[in-house]
Amino acid sequence: MEIRLSSVLLAAALLSGCGWFHRGEKAPAQVVAEEPPGEPSIVEPQVNRRVVKTPKIKAKDFELGGYFGALSIQDFGTNPVYGVRAAYHVSEDIFLEGFLGRSKAGTTSLEDVFPDITVVSDSGRRFTYYDLDVGYNVLPGEIFLGRGRAFNSALYVTVGMGDVKFADKDQFALNFGMGERLLITDWLAMHLDVRDHVFETDLTGRTKNVHNIEATLGLTVFY
Amino acid sequence: MPRLLALLLALQAFGVGLVHAKEQLLEVVVAEPYLEMHSGPGRGYPVVYVVGRDEVVTILYSRTDWFKVRAPRGQEGWARRTDLALTKLASGEPAPIPPYPDFATHRWELGAGYGVFNHQNLVTTWGDFGLTDSLDVEFVLQQALGTIDNRYIASIGMRHTFIPEWRWFSPTAGIGTGYQYIDDKVPPKPLQTSNQLAYVSLGARGFITRRFMWRADWRKYVVFTNQNQNEEPEEWKFGLAVFF
Repeated sequence: MEIRLSSVLLAAALLSGCGWFHRGEKAPAQVVAEEPPGEPSIVEPQVNRRVVKTPKIKAKDFELGGYFGALSIQDFGTNPVYGVRAAYHVSEDIFLEGFLGRSKAGTTSLEDVFPDITVVSDSGRRFTYYDLDVGYNVLPGEIFLGRGRAFNSALYVTVGMGDVKFADKDQFALNFGMGERLLITDWLAMHLDVRDHVFETDLTGRTKNVHNIEATLGLTVFY
Repeated sequence: MPRLLALLLALQAFGVGLVHAKEQLLEVVVAEPYLEMHSGPGRGYPVVYVVGRDEVVTILYSRTDWFKVRAPRGQEGWARRTDLALTKLASGEPAPIPPYPDFATHRWELGAGYGVFNHQNLVTTWGDFGLTDSLDVEFVLQQALGTIDNRYIASIGMRHTFIPEWRWFSPTAGIGTGYQYIDDKVPPKPLQTSNQLAYVSLGARGFITRRFMWRADWRKYVVFTNQNQNEEPEEWKFGLAVFF
């Protein structure tokens, strides 16, 4: 008896629950025309309300791409560097940008002169970094190529911080950069960048700030 | 070849496909005497074309405050958000130019910043979801770079904003929990490399411009260890974020 009672209660609760979920919607109106026998039925017009949907405007504030260039690792020579970058443009002036890059260091002059000495192990020569930057378009403008062509461009400065992993150690690094963005089309951009990654290290004996300057050429798409 | 294919697929995934599905574009009618079209998405770019009243322009896409539009005869240029907001739909309703999200009631936030965790440099990134105007869930991923070790800290918490309608400065407080992973730089190895932690935080936030904001935060952690004493590091940080 008790089980039956509780199952009835449960069913009631479930039903009321269903009602709860449907409370926002209108119950489908079930109009049952009561037709007196013998009379012709009235035709109800079946006109659906037209839903006008205004298309959304696509925002193309993100920029994604890659770059390639040369990185001068202090005391370790200049070497190729490559990476990916992503940016979000907050306003026509300000953007936030992230970089992920890697390179491989060469040998120091000490190692060149005395081949038996190794300052950094072979695996430690990998130079990888990430940066989180804020950028400012200082000089927006146009670049003219001949009489008939103009490309939108901007000279920007960036400042940020991140992590440099070198000699198997992660170091906190500040970075300062300057670059030129040239828009080949409105969605494809070419970048010329110079950036300095500054961090503190004691690799060569004494603790000092090292400057690792890179010059890169990049290509990005706006989406 | 498979690499090229993979790259193409990746590009497709990011919507940079070579083949675009025909998409519906918004068309608006100029209601003011004219609408100026600039050669670039910036205040300094010259006006290269003008669309007269009652003419229809097609909005292709937007970039920050600017909208790429196409005039009836095919000329393309950039129109300012404030100018486009004065246009109308064909039905006469005002054009649905999306306004900036309201700072006091925004839902999503993404940010990054610098801080100091227990005398170590800290790189911090966060994502924030607002449950109400004054209560959010925050997800924080950060890396503390020190001379002895590096720590990776992931945390999730709740944060209360006391007076969300104060634009320039409103205080916040929060609590949460997370994990830290220690990557040692110099011996000896730490006794434990991963610990659970909990924190309380006090902070402030403020509006800068458009969808841009700042946040400052102080946190006191309790790192649960299997030794007699728990670690109690402190942290402060400052960062910039965009909200949606």
